Formats: sequence, C-alpha cells, structure tokens
Amino acid sequence: MIKNNLSTIIITVITATMGVIAAVSFGKMHHPEELFPSEGLTGKVMLSDYFEGIKGTNGDTEVYLFDSGVEGGTALVCGGAHPNEAASFLSAVVILENLRVTCGRVFIIPRLNNSAFTCSDPMEGFPASYEIPTKYGTRRFRLGSRVTNPLDQWPDPLVFSQYPSNQQLSGFETRNINRSYPGRADGNLTERIAYAIVQLIEKEKVNIAFDIHESSPEVPIVNVIVYHENYEEVAMGAILGLEMAGLQFSPETSPKNFHGLSHREWGDYTNAIPFLMETSNPSMGRLRGRTDVDLVLRGYCDNYKKAKETGALRIAYREDTGEPIAHRVGRHIAGVVELINSYNLYYPDMQIVIENLPDYDMIMEKGVGEFLNN
Amino acid sequence: MSIELIIFICMLATFALSIFLFKMPAGVSLMLAAVVGALIGGQGFPVRHLVEGGFGFLEAILIISTAMIFMRVMQETGALAGVSRGILRLFYRQPTLLIIVITLFVMFPGMLTGLSSTCILTTGALVAPILINIGMQRLAVGALIAMAAVFGEVAPPISIPVMIIGGGVDMPYIGFGLPLLLVSLPPALITALYFRFRYLPDYNVAKVKVYLDSTDGEKYGFKLYIPIIFVILYMIGEIRFHEFVPHLGVPLIFIIGTILGLLTRRGVKLIDVSRTALRSAMPVMAILVGVGMFLQILALTGVRGYLAVTALGLPEGIRYLAAGLMPFMGSAYGSASIIGVPLVYVFIGKSTLVVTAVLVLMAALGDLMPPPALLCAYSSQIIEEPNHFRILKKCIIPMAISMAIGLLILVFAQEIANLIL
Repeated sequence: MIKNNLSTIIITVITATMGVIAAVSFGKMHHPEELFPSEGLTGKVMLSDYFEGIKGTNGDTEVYLFDSGVEGGTALVCGGAHPNEAASFLSAVVILENLRVTCGRVFIIPRLNNSAFTCSDPMEGFPASYEIPTKYGTRRFRLGSRVTNPLDQWPDPLVFSQYPSNQQLSGFETRNINRSYPGRADGNLTERIAYAIVQLIEKEKVNIAFDIHESSPEVPIVNVIVYHENYEEVAMGAILGLEMAGLQFSPETSPKNFHGLSHREWGDYTNAIPFLMETSNPSMGRLRGRTDVDLVLRGYCDNYKKAKETGALRIAYREDTGEPIAHRVGRHIAGVVELINSYNLYYPDMQIVIENLPDYDMIMEKGVGEFLNN
Repeated sequence: MSIELIIFICMLATFALSIFLFKMPAGVSLMLAAVVGALIGGQGFPVRHLVEGGFGFLEAILIISTAMIFMRVMQETGALAGVSRGILRLFYRQPTLLIIVITLFVMFPGMLTGLSSTCILTTGALVAPILINIGMQRLAVGALIAMAAVFGEVAPPISIPVMIIGGGVDMPYIGFGLPLLLVSLPPALITALYFRFRYLPDYNVAKVKVYLDSTDGEKYGFKLYIPIIFVILYMIGEIRFHEFVPHLGVPLIFIIGTILGLLTRRGVKLIDVSRTALRSAMPVMAILVGVGMFLQILALTGVRGYLAVTALGLPEGIRYLAAGLMPFMGSAYGSASIIGVPLVYVFIGKSTLVVTAVLVLMAALGDLMPPPALLCAYSSQIIEEPNHFRILKKCIIPMAISMAIGLLILVFAQEIANLIL
C-alpha cells in the first residue's frame, strides 16, 4: 500500500512542508511594525471613527493627530496607499516621528491601505520586508502589495467599473485604493476605506491633503507633483520653492477623465486641496534587475542605466547614484513642506505651521534611520 | 554573457530536458525550471517565492476547475450536442460561412469576459464536436479553437490586456473599440478561411446532412439549455449591468450553472463527473502553478527585466521586432505588463490607441506559446490530444499571418488612426 503510493506520499509531504514554511513567512506580514510618534502628538484615533463600516476589518488604520491648539488650517498626510512603495510609507513615518505643529492641525495616516500591508504581489518577487539601521538599533518595515489583500476582498470582477464614474479598469484595480475614491459606504472593502478617508477630510475640514506615492522610473508621471486644476497656483509656488532648493519636480495636472484617484476625487468631492507626489523607485519598475532589499533601499539598477542609454524611453533614473531611499524620502518631505509653505501664502487666514522635519540635505547626509525613533 | 541570460538558458534547458527527455508533465517541468533558476540566481530554495508564485494564477485555476465540471455536466445532459447540432443545422449548407460563424462564436465569451480560456472551455467545447464530425482533423480543430480564443481575448468590448497596459501607463479604457476590432477581426476571418480551405477542402454537404439526421436523438426541450444561457447572460450582466447584478465571480457562476445542469436532467452523477473533469483539467492546473513559479523566479532573479531591456535595446530600424517578440513571453498578461507597457512609450508619436491594440494582439498570441502554451493545453483537453505542442504546430501559420497584420498596422498606426478615429 505504502509502496504503491510512495510518490503521492512524498509529494504531499514536500507540499505540506513548503506550505507551512511559507505560511510562517506570510504570517509575519500580519504583525504591524511599531511606530514611535514625536512628542508633538496630541491624539490617535482609528479611521473607523469616521466611518463605522470598516470597524473590525483589516482596512481600519491608525490616524495620528498633531494639534497645535492654535487656530489655523488642517493638513492630512497619507502614506502607504500602495505598501509596495517603500518611500511612501517611510516618508509618512519620518514625518510622524519628528513633527511639531505650532499653528493649525496635521493628521497623519501612515498605513492608508492597512490591508495591503499584509500581503505581497504574486509573480513580482518582492522581499517581504526591509530593515533600516537607526541610532537605537535596526527597525524592520513590511513591503506590502499595491492592492488590498485578497483575503479581505475577493473575488475580483473581470472588469472593475469605478464608482461613480463607471470608468472601466482591469478587475485587479478593484482592490487599488487610488482608483476607488470617493468610495461608497456600501461598497467593497477598498471602496469603504476610500469612503472613510473622504469622511475624515470632510468632518475634520481638511484644507490641504497629501497622498505620497512612488512609481516605476519608466512611467512619465514620476518626480512630479500632481495637482487638481483648481489649485494650480499652490503647486506652482511650491515647485518654484523646491527648484530654488535644487530639487526638480514637474507639475502635472490631474487628468479630468481618469477617475478614482486622490488628486481628482478629493478635489472634486471635498474642499481639500489635494496633491499627489511620486518619486522614482527602480524596485517597482518592469525593467528592474534582481529584485531584493538592496534594490528597494539603494535604488541602483544597471538595467535602468542600459535602458536609458537606448534612448527608447524617457526614464527618470540617475545613472551615477541611482534612486536611494534617502533621496526619495527627502524629496517627499521637502515636497510636503514646500506645498504647505505655498498654501500658507495663498491662504493666510488658515495657516498651518510645521517644524522639526529634516530637510533633503540632512536626510541625504545622515540617512533615513537617523530620523527614526525607538 | 550576463548572469541573467545564463539563468534564463538554464531554466529553458531544464524545462526542455524535463519534458522531452524525462517525459515529466509540463507543470512539473516548469516548477523544476523555477527551482533551477533560483539556485543559479543565488536565491537558494526560496520557498516563500515558489509558493507565492504558485498561487499567482489561483483565480484561473478555480475558473478552469469549475468550468470543466460545468462543461462535463453539459456534456452528460446532452446540451453540448444539442447546441452543436443547432449551429450545424443552420449553416451546414455553406461551409465557409459555417467556419466563420464558428470562429466568431468561439470568440464571443472572450469578447465579453476578456479571458481567452473561457472561449475554449465554453464555446470552444461546444463547437469542437461539430468540426470533428464534419471532417476537420482533430489537431486542426484544437488549433482553430485556440486561435479564436486569442482573437476573443483581444476583441472589444472587454480586453483585459489593454486594461493591464492602461494601468501601467495611466490610460483609461476609453476609445479602444475600433482599434481592437481592427486588430482582431481581420486576422480572425483570415484564420477561419485558412482552416476552411487547408483542413476542410473536401466538405460534403450530403454527408453532413446524413450525419445530422443520424444524430437527431432524444429531445429535452429548452430547459436543457438554461444552464448555458444562465452562465453566458450572468457573465455579461456582471460586466454590463454591474449596478443591478450582484458580483459572484466566474467560478461561482460556473458552480451555479452546474447545479442548474443537474436539475435539468436526472441521472447525472456529480461526483463521477467532477472526478473525470478535474482529472482531465489537472495537467492544465499544474501548468498554471508551474508558470506562476517560473514567472516569480524570472522577476526575482532579474531575468524578466533583462528580457525587457534587451527588447528595448534593439536598434532603431528594427524596433518593431521588439513588438514581434511579445508572443514569445508565453503569457498574454505577462507580456502586456512586462513589454507592452514600455513599448507604448517607445512608439510615442503614433496613435497610442492603435499602438496599444496591436501590442495587445501580440501579447495575446503569447498565450499559445511555450513554455506554458496555455491555450494549446486547454484546447488539447477539449479534443483529447495528449501532446498540446502538436496543436501549437498547427497554429504557426495563422500566428505568423496575425503577427504580420499586427506589425503592418503598427507601422502605419498613425495613418490608420487618422482614418478610423
């Protein structure tokens, strides 16, 4: 009996062993990394406090509040909309762990799509996590997926009809939070998270909102500030300020016929002034070489150098230094600071004054870890 | 020679040795190739990546398993034979028209769902008996169905590879109707005519009439066809009327169809039918697990990027060859995502809509190509041919014609766009 079924037994044992090893590895993605907000933190709530419909789900996430107690405007900083974009999450964490607000209020959501931090994208070969050395020791951060975990929202439709525009996208995008705004209360989990964020923006009367992203170097919308057409002057003011600091950002108007994105729908459905920023991340690109933690953090990839030399594509990649994490986080934080400065010029009655954030040169010199707490 | 090229050659060699020398199943060969690629790429035995890749096509595996059970039940109830006879009865006097109608009929589910596999597993399975019974060689039948499935995946209104490329370049799925029709319909018609005149030259109306009369068996009326009508209408409804039709997902639709099928005729044994169906679908499902692992290791070791950069690095004059290489990526979705997205930028200056449509045709042809040769593998299940590469061989000429049409449209993309858009 055993002899006859030997191959079946061997295959079953191998498969079960591999399954257990993989399960342990994936199980670790359900343990969130601890964050250490700065002393300026005045409150912490859950996103479900703004919309009950996500309470008890993996879509619920922490919302950190820095309230100066001085009347002014309100800002919202969102990282981790796509948890495979390391600098998106890390930028929000660095802001969270260093920020002081002296006028107005700042809300920070570091893990915007919390569910997407608990899985990775099949067939992409991404590492599950990466580590950043800090003054206090090494900290581990998860590298998640672009979309909501299918364990939380499944199955995908063949075609995703975006609500309420009815724009058609591939079914996979139904789990992409940055295609799901303004969301809906009775929608799928991703739409409900998007709805909760819009509720927060409205209830807290957010004046300016940031959605921090990263993109493949070969995509044209990279190293950009995407703005809603109603707020061009704020974007241009910031881009000029960044230019003077030696940082080049391209202005990009939010396309009117491409729906579900934060820069389009936050602008259309709320009174917030939305901005989306993208840095160039070679570890996300389709032309990338070996996919590992080094590529995520050092951002150096010979393939992009070669691709750029072909002249076939417009590629946002610095051949000499690559696109290291310090550069990407530094750009995002500089972008947030300059956009708030520019906003303050145009809306002097609703000032938001923030302090203690490291500038681009400091981050480049000392590394991201220098600005992480423990 | 770069390490990525060495890894890729070793993976292909492992696959070829395993399948041709050691006579291992294609799915297992792909898994072995993935393991060898990981080892040579210095990744050791990356259990997490192999398991993650293996789950990459979980949805497709669920669709295939439920669709195969559904089709087996339809076969047992007599619905398949009924539909075959119906189509044949309508068009048997005009064989050329019959083959064209059959090709369009096979394309139909793919046009609505964007999935090539559904073409083979639903309408493909319905028409295969017709084609075999009117005298077309089995292998040619498998090849015609596989080719039609490719065109169904490309044709409007729903083309998922376009959406994948669109997602990569931030382009909404708007205005693709005519360009997709342009790149799918002419090659489909030419393919239909090719199979008509190459593999059905001695069509004899009288013989077919005799066959028709001899197969008029027991009639169960309209209720026999309710499951098929339900499955097709629900899939359309989910996409076109999503606000009113609850989203069930394709596997659940097939399961409901199966239950309806069991209610339409007594005596069909679900356990036996399911066992037979899953046993026949097992090689295809194993291929999908293997392909997922293979693609994961290609990405992990950098081979995927190496292939894409190599395609981009082709000299200016022969850059169109990069598009011509797309089918050789072996998967429509993989090819659309990996090479399709960069190529849209390469051809900036020409109509993006027409360029994308051509790239999607090229990518979709990849579903026929090894290592996975998915559509050939599905098709081989339908015509009960153990070696699916024999189907691929029959597809070579229509594939070449389709690629030539695609490249021609690509060269004149802007001029064509000026005419039709």
